[in-house]
Amino acid sequence: MTDNQNPLSPHLQIYRWHISSLLSITHRISGVINLFSLILIFSWLLVLSLGENNYESFLLVINSFIGNFFLIGFTWSMSFHLLSGIRHLIWDFGYGFEIKTANISGIIVIISSLILTVIFWLMGRGLI
Amino acid sequence: MKETRKWIFHRISAVILAPLFVWFYFAFISLSTKNYQEAIYFFENSLVRILAIVLFFVAFFHAKISLNEIFDDYIHDPKIKYVANILSLILSIVVPVIVLILLIYKI
Repeated sequence: MTDNQNPLSPHLQIYRWHISSLLSITHRISGVINLFSLILIFSWLLVLSLGENNYESFLLVINSFIGNFFLIGFTWSMSFHLLSGIRHLIWDFGYGFEIKTANISGIIVIISSLILTVIFWLMGRGLI
Repeated sequence: MKETRKWIFHRISAVILAPLFVWFYFAFISLSTKNYQEAIYFFENSLVRILAIVLFFVAFFHAKISLNEIFDDYIHDPKIKYVANILSLILSIVVPVIVLILLIYKI
């Protein structure tokens, strides 16, 4: 393997990104991020079992600026993975494989994930 | 697990997970601005506890299958891949079991 001088494929420095490949890797990344948000929710339950004082400190951390930054990021990651997952399920039933359809559904996933994040966050925080 | 069965279980777990995760994450976001008593009150409902336990088992099962697939694609050393798969298996069992114990005995 070491003396193999063939270029790697995809060669990332000259790789032309398409919506399909961008969404494919983002689906994986958002899935891994969701695992971290699940671990955060797990620690929420853990802290809840440790009593009121610890719980209040935990709330202070997640309601800080950085805490909110992560929570909004996690909200987007969940929205994206959910919508992109629905797109994958539709593919699994054999629909939407045409290049044009796949590109359009990809754009719909990106835009709706952002809209869903805003709606979810505002509703979750009781702002609407 | 056979690859076809893995594929089917992955999809089934995704369908179960979609509503559960959205619901629970929403509860987490809205309760994070409220106090301890309200969070305890939320978990007093046994349906909430059961669904939360199901969520953690299904979510970590889904994550385990997905992680194995990611490791298959990006880790080339079979030994490291083996260790990574074992670690993801342990994580996917330990966390849901702790949640089960917490929600039945502690909270």
